Amino acid sequence: MNFLKIFVRNLVNGPSTVSFPFGPAWTPARMRGRIEFKLPSCTGCRACEQVCAPGAIRFDKTPEGLRFMMWHNTCVFCGLCEFYCPTDAIHQSDDWHMAHAVDQKFSMAIRELIPYTNCSACGMKTLASAPNPVGINPPYTPEEIEQHRQLCPACRKKALAERGNPS
Amino acid sequence: MTLLQTLNEKAKQIAVRSPWIYRINAGSCNGCDVECATTALIPRYDVERLGCQYCGSPRHADIVLITGPLTARIKDDVLRVFAEVPDPKVTVAVGVCPISGGIFRESYAVHAPVDQYLPVDVNVPGCPPRPQAIIEGIAQAIAIWRERI
Repeated sequence: MNFLKIFVRNLVNGPSTVSFPFGPAWTPARMRGRIEFKLPSCTGCRACEQVCAPGAIRFDKTPEGLRFMMWHNTCVFCGLCEFYCPTDAIHQSDDWHMAHAVDQKFSMAIRELIPYTNCSACGMKTLASAPNPVGINPPYTPEEIEQHRQLCPACRKKALAERGNPS
Repeated sequence: MTLLQTLNEKAKQIAVRSPWIYRINAGSCNGCDVECATTALIPRYDVERLGCQYCGSPRHADIVLITGPLTARIKDDVLRVFAEVPDPKVTVAVGVCPISGGIFRESYAVHAPVDQYLPVDVNVPGCPPRPQAIIEGIAQAIAIWRERI
């Protein structure tokens, strides 16, 4: 009588085949898919480049600034870059729709630029600091943080030393 | 229209419904091969809904799935088997290894990317790609194959 149970169950539940590509496909909540990069949070620490096993992430120094490049076609979706990013600038989405015709392979990349600015105190060329680094809360007022952002690392160190202990 | 032309047209109409798939393992770690087997054999994914069937001989194939970074030892064999697949054929690179080398990139032992040696048409990145992603790539390959035949 076991077959009757299976027969009724199959009648109720329907076929077990997922309807994709003719319908939507189920995606697990913690699926490790396409990398997303948030430029406003990136501080240019290059930890992701250091931990990327296949070398999909690369930082290049250009005359305009520090260029972030990430190739989806080299990424092995291990998630180390997201794990080690101190400011949550890299996020691994659950998007797995990445099959593409071969003539689009050079568009399967993230290219972003962290531009150079001039220090407001000494005028030296320095990397623009991240406007919105998530997960970092320095013990200063927003005005002070905005002021420190305009400085190069050496001038910022000096300014912080002159300021004394944070309130 | 002669009888030969009519038969030719009819054969094309029938053939586009059922492209046959052939897998070439170009030194893969077996991860993508397991996913390819899952795509075909498990009723949950079932690539045969698209009219595809895996075949054992390259001479019967229409769509070629390549996995692996094309290791130096297996390169000549892969090229020989690939040359046996009759035209028109569509090539799908499954996984990041044939596309760029992936984790084996810039190794002395692999000749990735595969598209230096073979005309690849569709890339399916992933390490390994999930079965739905492989089905998505095969669906794109079938669309290309319908134009070619």
